[in-house]
Amino acid sequence: MEQGNYQICSRCVMDTTAQEITFDENGVCSFCHFFDEKIKPDWHRDKSGYQKLQKIVKKIKDYGKNKEYDCIIGISGGVDSSYLTYFAKKILGLRPLVFHVDGGWNSELAVKNIENLIKKLDIDLFTYVVDWEEMRDLQLAFFKSGVANQDVPQDHAFFAMLYKYATQYNIKYVLTGGNLATESILPASWGYNAMDLKHLKAVHKCFGQVKLKTFPTVNFFQYYFYYPYIKGMVIVRPLNYIPYVKSEAMQFLEKEVGWRYYGCKHGESRFTNFFQTYFLPVRFGYDKRKAHLSSLILAGQMTRDEALKELQRPLCDEKAIEEEKIFVSKKLGITVDKFETFLTMPKKTFKDYPSNYRLLQLLRLISDIKRQVRYKWLK
Amino acid sequence: MLKNRVIPCLLLQNQGLVKTIRFKEPKYVGDPINAIRIFNEKEVDELIFLDIIASKVGRSPNFEILQNIVGECFMPLCYGGGISRLEDIQKIFSLGVEKISINSFALKNIDFIKQASEIFGSQSIVVTIDVKKNFLEKYKVYDHTRNKITDIDPVEFAITTQEMGAGEILLNSVDRDGTQGGYDIDLITKITNVLSIPVIAMGGAGKIDDFVDAVKKGNASAVAAGSMFVFHGKHRAVLITYPEYQELEKRLV
Repeated sequence: MEQGNYQICSRCVMDTTAQEITFDENGVCSFCHFFDEKIKPDWHRDKSGYQKLQKIVKKIKDYGKNKEYDCIIGISGGVDSSYLTYFAKKILGLRPLVFHVDGGWNSELAVKNIENLIKKLDIDLFTYVVDWEEMRDLQLAFFKSGVANQDVPQDHAFFAMLYKYATQYNIKYVLTGGNLATESILPASWGYNAMDLKHLKAVHKCFGQVKLKTFPTVNFFQYYFYYPYIKGMVIVRPLNYIPYVKSEAMQFLEKEVGWRYYGCKHGESRFTNFFQTYFLPVRFGYDKRKAHLSSLILAGQMTRDEALKELQRPLCDEKAIEEEKIFVSKKLGITVDKFETFLTMPKKTFKDYPSNYRLLQLLRLISDIKRQVRYKWLK
Repeated sequence: MLKNRVIPCLLLQNQGLVKTIRFKEPKYVGDPINAIRIFNEKEVDELIFLDIIASKVGRSPNFEILQNIVGECFMPLCYGGGISRLEDIQKIFSLGVEKISINSFALKNIDFIKQASEIFGSQSIVVTIDVKKNFLEKYKVYDHTRNKITDIDPVEFAITTQEMGAGEILLNSVDRDGTQGGYDIDLITKITNVLSIPVIAMGGAGKIDDFVDAVKKGNASAVAAGSMFVFHGKHRAVLITYPEYQELEKRLV
């Protein structure tokens, strides 16, 4: 990007590294407008939100009356899912089964956090370990493809297995730590939908070598129709109904369950940490902190000045990241020199490979129309 | 360091780690590099790493995997699996492994223990003895390469290996493997009573109390465990854990 065209939002800290960004006459970005118009009106963190959540909780409890578990929670060892687990069990009085997908990149902090949490809360844990040889091959294929979203294999496996397991064991309610307080902004241009199996398979077909025999997948039909409409699976994001403050949640967890922080958002996975603090900014110029910090600004949990100050800090410790580069290369079964070529090879986007992008756009359009019609009816 | 070492034991099957129950039903538990890295960060004193396929199919150790593992491993490592030549041992030590374990090949050629200990020193040669009860409830040495209970008496065999120069015995109960129901204290006692070299108890650990029993009742010098460090709870969820050092120190005084 040319320096002269650079612009940063006057309200949050999103900038022109997100290609789709536009600015109004006051220099406020399109992400802020999207937040004000589409997200904020439906986001209630006050009493009314909590009352809404209570209604959902009652439904979950009624559903799970004679069952061993009334809901399932996907956990990574990170702050959001850890806090959600505590909140669900201790505050909401639910009986969750905690589910973890091990993609081969767990940090010691992640496993220790999960251990402390489930022991302290006396919750049952179930894990699924993805076959490393298949995972390695798929991740390597994504690097070779040149696209930005290198987290697709991990994210896809995680949700595919979570949903599969939930339906297999007849658990209808899936609770996730996804939340608007820290994730309301995420530029589409920085990545691509990890749940698009057509895209995942296309990339693997071009660059993969190992057959994906056991790798957990979820296809378009299953994700958008089978699970929600046929199996009646409901995804609940409880943290969106409460004034969730990440920094307070971390302090709370540290005190209550001996939880420990791992340095950055999604740092619980060694791969995601490396990908977000090194690969993505170095190769594509995308600094995901901008989206996270902007989300916090819009949620009223941080000032713009604080966010700008935070952005001044280096993304990573240079010495540590060099060691991580060696580790990541070794895990992927390639030399560091080979890995370096992934940093400089021609950039590609998901559009360079087959995907369900058009289908997804159509689905979004239908859902927008449905929402507008609903509003009109309500009025 | 603890007075009695508490050693995680990892089993390699092809490229990945598994955990068995009574030497059967191998369950995949992940990638060796990541597991070792996590144990590193947990500051584990020592690690045992056994390739459970190598001898069965008659191949040498996988030196490539071993090299990757040693590169990540900050604690002393004992490797076992597929060792049948002195050159293999030489090569393994040159990679930075501290101890090697010989199991099935000791049953075929006991002199190999003598040769190995004379060249490399007793302190680095461990003999693993798998023991299983036969239909008469008698302890016998088990040969995992043939899936067979042999006629060999484990007490006599342990004495012989000591005489041949083994520096340490890794005593594994096949019947207790993966059950987490406690060590076979009777078996451990039988062996520790007749040996002067250290015995590492393995097979059946499920809680810290089991370590205490193996050490205090069975006189084991060290304890090893697999399931206890890789599984958690009733769903046998794969989760790498290691007890708090202070807790072990307190219990194993």
